[in-house]
Amino acid sequence: MNVGQPASAPKLPWRLISGNHACALGAVAAGCRFFAGYPITPSSEIAERLSRLLPLVDGVFVQMEDEIASIAAVIGASMGGVKALTATSGPGFSLKQENIGYAAGAEIPCVIVNVMRGGPSTGMPTRPAQGEIMQSRWGSHGDYPIIVLAPASVREIHDENMRAFDLAEPLRTPVVILYDQDIAQRTETVELGDANGVARAQRKWASGPPAAYQPYATGEDGIPAMSRPGAGYRVHTTGLNHAENGFPTQSPQAVERNLGRLLTKFERHRDLIDSWQTLGCDDAEVLIVAIGISARAALRALEICRARSLRAGLFRPITLWPFPENALREAASQANAVLVPEMNAGQLSLEVGRILGGKRVEAIHRFNGEPITPAEIAQRVETLAREMNQ
Amino acid sequence: MRGSRLEIRIGGTGGQGLILCAKMLADALCATGKRVAQSQTYEPTSRGGFCNSDLVVSDDEVDFPLATALDCLVLLDRLAVKPSWPLLKPGALVIADTRLCPELPEGELRVHPLPLSRTAIELGSERVANMVALGALAALAAVCTRDAIERAVRAETPKAFSS
Amino acid sequence: MIVDSASAFDVRTYLRQEMMPHFLCPGCGHGIALRALLWAVYELGLDKDKLAVVSGIGCAGRLSAYIDANTFHVTHGRPLAYATGLALARPDLHVVVITGDGDCLAIGGNHLIHACRRNLKLTCLMLNNEVYGMTGGQVSPTTSETRLTTTTPLGNSEPNFDACTLAAAAGASFVGREVTHHVPKLKQLIRAGLEHPGFAFIEVLSDCTEIFGRKNELGSSAEMVLRQKSELRPSAYRDTVDSPFRSSDLPTGILTKTERPEYGAAYRTAAAAQRARLAASTDQNKGRT
Repeated sequence: MNVGQPASAPKLPWRLISGNHACALGAVAAGCRFFAGYPITPSSEIAERLSRLLPLVDGVFVQMEDEIASIAAVIGASMGGVKALTATSGPGFSLKQENIGYAAGAEIPCVIVNVMRGGPSTGMPTRPAQGEIMQSRWGSHGDYPIIVLAPASVREIHDENMRAFDLAEPLRTPVVILYDQDIAQRTETVELGDANGVARAQRKWASGPPAAYQPYATGEDGIPAMSRPGAGYRVHTTGLNHAENGFPTQSPQAVERNLGRLLTKFERHRDLIDSWQTLGCDDAEVLIVAIGISARAALRALEICRARSLRAGLFRPITLWPFPENALREAASQANAVLVPEMNAGQLSLEVGRILGGKRVEAIHRFNGEPITPAEIAQRVETLAREMNQ
Repeated sequence: MRGSRLEIRIGGTGGQGLILCAKMLADALCATGKRVAQSQTYEPTSRGGFCNSDLVVSDDEVDFPLATALDCLVLLDRLAVKPSWPLLKPGALVIADTRLCPELPEGELRVHPLPLSRTAIELGSERVANMVALGALAALAAVCTRDAIERAVRAETPKAFSS
Repeated sequence: MIVDSASAFDVRTYLRQEMMPHFLCPGCGHGIALRALLWAVYELGLDKDKLAVVSGIGCAGRLSAYIDANTFHVTHGRPLAYATGLALARPDLHVVVITGDGDCLAIGGNHLIHACRRNLKLTCLMLNNEVYGMTGGQVSPTTSETRLTTTTPLGNSEPNFDACTLAAAAGASFVGREVTHHVPKLKQLIRAGLEHPGFAFIEVLSDCTEIFGRKNELGSSAEMVLRQKSELRPSAYRDTVDSPFRSSDLPTGILTKTERPEYGAAYRTAAAAQRARLAASTDQNKGRT
């Protein structure tokens, strides 16, 4: 889905809140009733907010002993049938990877917020970076599917967190939300829609006689129905490769069938999953592809380019993984060159280059903690446009 | 369409209440229909050292929320001069505390040296220098009505002090 | 008093019989521990639909698959953390953790001490066979000194943990130990753990005949179990918390039992009080305007 032009300015009253605050409000509005986490800059405000909000809605907040325990407790709560969230940042995201793989493999819905860090290792905790674009897709071992959302504003953090649950629950998958410190801890005026009474997507629950129930058998949609403990199904859940009956198997045919189904399970649901924004792509000579704070700089750069009669457009993936490939190809169809500003040493540009094979793809890479500025992007667009016209 | 962008920085050292000052201004602007993005300096040391809070104000949604060219700069400590000076627009408004930030570089600017902290001390506490600065900024920059600022200040002030 | 329900108890009604034969080696003590657990579940009349068993990785971790309940075989070392989430989210479930000495004390050691401290209602059954059996017989935190394993070819030179002392020191409100030789007593201990209204840590001294026993020439399973028995003494003889490491004469039975607020209930009570406070203040404000 292309969100297109931003909606007209919302009506008063609006609130001045931070990205992390909006994240917590979005979770509660989406029906999240369990949070487990561990303090880490710059995401701790999410935990602090939820420690106050969740008890008010009969939910549970728990600060666990470490990052691994936090994701484990979240998956455990979700196994119990409760919508669950954890939040972390780079080093903590690294520690969570094994269990994110478990959630993907056993198909346990959960949402993981990662306020991105640079690196390696501890990096610069209080400075923005976009260092986990690739890790969010490939961080756990083996082959597995995962959905990653990349909101670029306080308002969008709120809304995408709600969408994360609406994807995680019916598709039975972990969903990662990636954003950067510059939006996490900056306050912006937002008008949050009233989520009361809005029906949220639900998990697909097992029904019918327990004797006939196969926990990983699916219909056309490729999504197995989950059993809620206490509902009489008494099934086994494991991180080992399993057959339709949920028990471990080493049968090549059974693994081929079930893991094969898992790896392609999003394909039928791409209309639901894909989300992106295009601005000025119809006649763009130079297409900018960016997420997060870099996309916000690109928005301003578009204004500067227009003033200089440079034809620039923006493609902003909101669903980052699976990457909205077809939408990018279409957006880039008129462009002679593509520019990817990103706060790392080269991650998004790799994927964009892969998708747009043959097209000139340049990047602005930044890993010193200073955001890429609109002026820098506009300057590179100008240089690229001049070179392409020669 | 996005020509309304206005950038304001309150600069000084950690512990001076700069972020609160900026938040009150942001709330006041917000109440008068502006869109605002406010930076929250978040460093491991929250007392002492350069500290600032930036506001980007617009009639529409703010595109890039970081300061790129300051229209107004309030200086409550000399530490804030060096990192802020290159960001000033030609002709920008600069309000500097005469006691804590007495010397300023040259520039095509509207500079107002004011006794902000001294006034605060005379009022009874240096800690309210941030509020004196807010008043000065509201008067000189004319970004929003005095009424809106007053309401924002009252909303953020403990009841014991706001009678 | 030990209730003799042995003749009435049919373990098969608590097993997933389609999973038989099980994968445990001949002589392994884990099957006895599993039987004792299910016997205790039977005696307490726990509803299988409300029973959740969370297990980690290793030989002990595989046991959950055989139990006819809601079973979760999770990642190495993390069953207590998964179980914490599950039990907090679903206080209506009876959550049991089955773990091994490596799973619980090495890779999962942090989760153990914090589970002890937190006192959430969980029953943790740690099956201690002194070795990493599934990976082929490497040294574990409970391997006795001088023992040979595939990673201590010169004999183990690290001191071993006394898991019960560790759990008690970390604040566990229920700690117990038993050997597989005493099945009714083991069942009784597990039963007491299941009934305990907080975190219950139970160490079961199991035996790995096939790998550990063979390597150390400890004889048959029966000989290993009898040797274990000879090293034990009832808890009444001695206070357990006098040494961080394992002594040569191990106390058995219930070693620690204290009354402490259960974490889940305490959290829910505090949350309900906060909701009531807010509701009252909202009503008051309504009254004013």
